[in-house]
Amino acid sequence: MRTDAWLAALAGELQRHGVGADLTGHVVAEAAAHLADSGDPPLAAFGPPEMYAAAVADSVAGPAPAAPGRTVGPVRLAARGITKRYRRRTVLADVDLTVRAGEVAAVIGQNGSGKSTLLRICAGLARPDRGTVHVAGRLGYCPQDGGMSEFLTPDEHFVLVGAGRGLSRTAARRYGRRDAAALDWAPKPGVQARHLSGGTRQKLNLTLARLGDPDVLLLDEPYQGFDRGSYLDFWHQVFRWRDGGAAIVVVTHLLNQLDRVDTVLDLTRSEAAA
Amino acid sequence: MEQDRRAQWLRGVLDLCVLGTLARGESYGYQLAQALADAGLGPIQGGTLYPVLLRLQRAGLVAARWRGGTSGPARKYYQLTAAGATRLRHAGAEWSTFAGQVGAILAQEAAGEN
Repeated sequence: MRTDAWLAALAGELQRHGVGADLTGHVVAEAAAHLADSGDPPLAAFGPPEMYAAAVADSVAGPAPAAPGRTVGPVRLAARGITKRYRRRTVLADVDLTVRAGEVAAVIGQNGSGKSTLLRICAGLARPDRGTVHVAGRLGYCPQDGGMSEFLTPDEHFVLVGAGRGLSRTAARRYGRRDAAALDWAPKPGVQARHLSGGTRQKLNLTLARLGDPDVLLLDEPYQGFDRGSYLDFWHQVFRWRDGGAAIVVVTHLLNQLDRVDTVLDLTRSEAAA
Repeated sequence: MEQDRRAQWLRGVLDLCVLGTLARGESYGYQLAQALADAGLGPIQGGTLYPVLLRLQRAGLVAARWRGGTSGPARKYYQLTAAGATRLRHAGAEWSTFAGQVGAILAQEAAGEN
C-alpha cells in the first residue's frame, strides 16, 4: 500500500473509531513524519490502518488520571439558576456552573446554545434575567474576538491592560511576552494589532486575559485560527494554569479534550427544552 | 517461542524504557525508536511505540509539542514531565527488585540442576 493511501485510510479509520478530528490530525501527521524519517513502508512500521487506528483509539480511551498531588481549592466561580431570554427565545434556562480553584470546566453545545452568553454573564458583561454569579478573586476574560485596540502593538496592549491590573510597565511586558512565548509567539516590536493574523490576534487576546494571573479565567473558544501546534500548546497551558490554582472555564466545540477536564456543562439540552 | 517471550517482556516495560530514554532529553518518535534499538531492545515498530507515547502523554507523564524542522517534516517532540520523572524513579526501583527476585529464582533452578 502506498504511503499516501495508507495515511488516508488511517485518517478514515481513526474517525470511524470516534477519535476527534484534531487528534486524528496529530496521529496521522506523526505517522507521516515517522515514515518520512525511517523510509519504512507503512504496513511494516504500523501494520494495517484499521489495526493501528484501533490501538490508538484504545490508548486514548477511558478517563485520564488526575495529575498526582493535584489539589482542588475553594469555589471561585458559582453561577446559579442563570436564565436569559432574547425577546421570546430562552437562550439559557436555569443553568448552574461551579468551578473551584484548580479545576477546568468545559462549556459545550451547538451554535446558538448560549455558550458565549453564559460566559459574558459570568464575566459581568451581560445581565441574566434570573440567577446569580459569584466570583471569588480576580477575573480574566478572553472573548471570541475583539477586546483589543487595532492601532496598538502587543507590547502596548500588555502595558495598558497590565496597568488596570496593577502591573508596572516592565512587569506587564515581561508577563505578556512570557505567556506569548508559551503559545509559540514572539511579538514583533512595532506591529499593530490590525496587522496580526487571526491566530496571532487570538494569542494576544489570550495573553491579555492571563495578565496578572487572575484567579478565574473565562475563555471563549480562544484557539480559533491556531495551527495544530499552537492548539496543543494552548491546552497544555490551560492545564498548567489549572495546576497553578486557576479556575478555568473554556467554551469549546472540540470534544477530544473533554475527558481531561473536570466538569462538562452541555448547553444543548437547555436549548432543546426551551 | 523465545522471540515471543522477549516481546512479552518488552510489553511490560516499554513505557518505562521510553520514560528512561526521555530522561536523557527531549526526543521524537523515530529518534526514540532508534535509541531503544541502539540500547539493545531490537526494532520497535511505530505501531507499538506511538500508542505508548499517547498513553504517557494522556497520563501527564510526558508533554508533547510540535516543532517544524528546517529540513524534513514537523515532528512531535516529547519531554519528561515532573510527574514522569517521579514515576520513572518509583517504577525503576520496583523493576530492579522484581528483576532481582526473578534472577534469584532462576539462579537457584540452575544451581539445583547442576
